[in-house]
Amino acid sequence: MTWYLFQLLLQASLMTIFVSAISILAGLVLAVFLSALRMSGNRWMYGGAGLFISFFRGVPLLVQLLLIFNLLPVIGITLPSLATAIIGLSLSTAAYQAENLRGGFEGVPIGLIESAEMAGFSRVQTFIHIRTPIALRMTFPALVNEAILILKASSLVSVVGLVELTKMAQNLAASTYQPLPIFASAGLIYLVINLIVAFAARRAEDALPGLPAK
Amino acid sequence: MTESAISIRNLSKQFGDTLVLRDINLEVPRGQVSCLIGPSGSGKSTLLRCMAFLEEANAGTILIEGEPMGFVEGPNGRRKQTPAELRKTRSRIGMVFQQFNLWPHMTALGNVSASLRRVRRMPRREAEEKAMAQLEKVDLKERAHHYPSQLSGGQQQRVAIARALALDPTIMLFDEPTSALDPELTGEVLNVMRALAEEGMTMVVVTHEIGFAASVGHKVCFLDHGKLLFHDTPEKVFAAPRNPRLEQFLDTYLDRGAFLVQ
Amino acid sequence: MSFDIAVILAKGPQILAGLGVTILIWVAGTFFAVILGFIVATARRYGGPLVNLVLAIPVEVLRGTPFLVQIFLLYFGGPYIGLRLDPIAAGLLGLSVYGAAYYSEIFRAGYLSVPPGHVEAAECVGFSRLQTILFILLPEMALLVLPPSMNMAIILLKDTALLSLITVPEMTMTVSAIGSQQYAFVESIVVLALVYWGLVEVANWLGRITERKIAKLSVT
Repeated sequence: MTWYLFQLLLQASLMTIFVSAISILAGLVLAVFLSALRMSGNRWMYGGAGLFISFFRGVPLLVQLLLIFNLLPVIGITLPSLATAIIGLSLSTAAYQAENLRGGFEGVPIGLIESAEMAGFSRVQTFIHIRTPIALRMTFPALVNEAILILKASSLVSVVGLVELTKMAQNLAASTYQPLPIFASAGLIYLVINLIVAFAARRAEDALPGLPAK
Repeated sequence: MTESAISIRNLSKQFGDTLVLRDINLEVPRGQVSCLIGPSGSGKSTLLRCMAFLEEANAGTILIEGEPMGFVEGPNGRRKQTPAELRKTRSRIGMVFQQFNLWPHMTALGNVSASLRRVRRMPRREAEEKAMAQLEKVDLKERAHHYPSQLSGGQQQRVAIARALALDPTIMLFDEPTSALDPELTGEVLNVMRALAEEGMTMVVVTHEIGFAASVGHKVCFLDHGKLLFHDTPEKVFAAPRNPRLEQFLDTYLDRGAFLVQ
Repeated sequence: MSFDIAVILAKGPQILAGLGVTILIWVAGTFFAVILGFIVATARRYGGPLVNLVLAIPVEVLRGTPFLVQIFLLYFGGPYIGLRLDPIAAGLLGLSVYGAAYYSEIFRAGYLSVPPGHVEAAECVGFSRLQTILFILLPEMALLVLPPSMNMAIILLKDTALLSLITVPEMTMTVSAIGSQQYAFVESIVVLALVYWGLVEVANWLGRITERKIAKLSVT
């Protein structure tokens, strides 16, 4: 194990961070959209969102990634592995985040929605400007948790051919015959990234405006 | 023009099997303060919420400045208002809640300017200038950039009043505006309401503050078990209470008031 | 491009064998993870600050790193320190230790949820520490730890799919191998996804039933 190998791992970890960050954000947007479908009052939209969430929470991420990676070319879509990885992770995390958000949306006090109605907000405006920000604020700790899970889960995107931290470690382990220090170093890098995310999240939580009373 | 700000005709409301409002008839005159008093569970808050169409009555009509609230009378009978029509009728009303219901993710200024920006589609600067003027009216200009969690209960309720006033309603509804406050914070809220009454705002106030009802109210309505038992000037209601229920109610609340003074 | 699931389903016995390995590793791995997790949580509660700290480190490392990296380290790195395991043993060991870290946190929260007064009361009537744990603490925390435990079991079920990457002949490996042989890879993955989906939904359903049963038993 040399400093040079460690540097290669560090460089690859940037890809891990990039893929995870984009996927978390895209997943969040999709999760809010799924929540809107579930609260639309339309049976088909509700059912569709429910099926999506059940599927992506019920199937191992590895299988989802293999499915997307192999299915897209069949229906005539060829994407670079980076895009495939982001799509796969985003769809998966969207399902989990929608489930987290459900609690948040249910926890928005009814009075805050009534006051929005009385202020003349339409249903869509109430959803965008009142319900969603409050639900997001209430479920912020769950979002941080999910971000850490996705950082770790991003180790699977090597199966769609993307070279991130784990894939780089695999490659280096195979070529140097030093799997022990190399995988240990990779693990250490994941650990440090996660600790930084957790620390930053705690600081952010303190800085965010307050939760609704009760 | 003599029509009432709000006129309520034969209004009944039930939750499940319990009748909470029984055949209420009430005229709320323009430019006056009407106070709804009564024991807990008497239906006074439900009546107020019906006026805002936050509750839908089972029978009867509510006219807001002559327009039916929640319904449209057509040649084929009545139909429910569309959400847009309901918003238009409601725009004449500002509402203040017992629990303030300020949006926790917005500053005081954000709470007051939100409807101007989203509903009136005012540019941000203009909306905030107008909101700032409202906050000044409730004497909270210097707290404009605080979040609700950084304000006392009394301050939050004053922001809520400013928010309700933002769209220039002609009628203000107050649902027990001081009940969630520590006793020493009720004064600042009642003062703001008193000033609003002096400007000639039409107000309907559900309250347990008998003193406020007596001194500021033009009309006092006493509800008990869903029935409107009295509806008169405070002098007449409070001077010689003959009804045993009203007497019992006043004893309870005046006693409590006396206890607080001690 | 034809889509022919039949060529995959024709290999039913092989698929069932893979499913069997998946379920075996899952059930055994979860069992060991729960036991080990409980031991770790108990040691951290009663072992004093030093034991607590020493055990906190592996728990945080296991929770802060990807399972995939852990099994790679164990399976490919193990032989360099004399830990030569076959894939199934490595997979089972990896899953158990990884799961134990999460279960230890679940039980830790469970211990914290029991009011200290209940423990003191048990000590006053002469319960030994073991008796207190078995007859007071465990039953009291059961309702609280059950939902996250079920959840974790389902996470472990899905994580067994990763063991295919260290050549454990579980379902993902078996079915995707069939797909490659039959030139029907997409079909094989679709079958895989559906089987896992079904398994997880059944596990969810069992979990809900158990929760309801336990909730009825509890007095509070």
